Amino acid sequence: MIPSDADWARAALGEPSRADAVFGALSDRTRRTLLAAIAAGPAATATELAADLPISRQAVLKHLNALADAGLLERERAGREVRYRVTPAPLSDAVSWMTDVGEQWDERLAALGRQLRGERTAGG
Amino acid sequence: MIEQVERELELEASVEEVWDAVTGDGWLADEVALELLPGGDASFRSGPTEKAGWVEEASPPSASEDRTASLVFWWAAEGESATRVEVTITPGERGTRLRVIESRPLELLDLVGVPLPGAGQRSFGPAMVAA
Repeated sequence: MIPSDADWARAALGEPSRADAVFGALSDRTRRTLLAAIAAGPAATATELAADLPISRQAVLKHLNALADAGLLERERAGREVRYRVTPAPLSDAVSWMTDVGEQWDERLAALGRQLRGERTAGG
Repeated sequence: MIEQVERELELEASVEEVWDAVTGDGWLADEVALELLPGGDASFRSGPTEKAGWVEEASPPSASEDRTASLVFWWAAEGESATRVEVTITPGERGTRLRVIESRPLELLDLVGVPLPGAGQRSFGPAMVAA
């Protein structure tokens, strides 16, 4: 889906609070992991997501709410449970790019830290 | 929305050590070839993964009085649009502060219908980006 010029201008120039909410929501590593997990599969419940993570369902729910409040996730009520899925493109494309690239830099920075500490130790 | 990823890390090493690690083999990719001058060629290879690009700006720590260093380059894998990476290295409180920003400003051009440099073609460079 390609937004119109007007949509693009609004997204690029206006609504700073919306952009802040998105970046705020993505500033947390657990939330990025959750978002990537949800983007990779079908709509998931908090219980299903918590099963794959070392945190409680309650904590997962808190992160899901933050992501939903920023407009990155949509809630889908199915009977007694709520399923979450990533808001459709074009935002989800931006999100998956930021998630992937963010993970890559996390790994590179961690590796650099290890490498430089190692050299320090080896060099006395 | 500007698509941008930003990371910062404090390292227990000198600015020069960090600069050498950042620009050398093994960090940005297994094999790194950087022509450290504006418009210089850049190539990055890790196993079968290869990225090509160019250097926008390169200021080694030796070139600055306040011992800061910076490297700005663009890179893209075959068939993907180029992204811009800005690496800033400054003396920190306990060691050296490394700040990385990767953005894909060219996606904005894509949204308004401007063909992307680096998308589906091998060569892209300063002239194309400026245009």
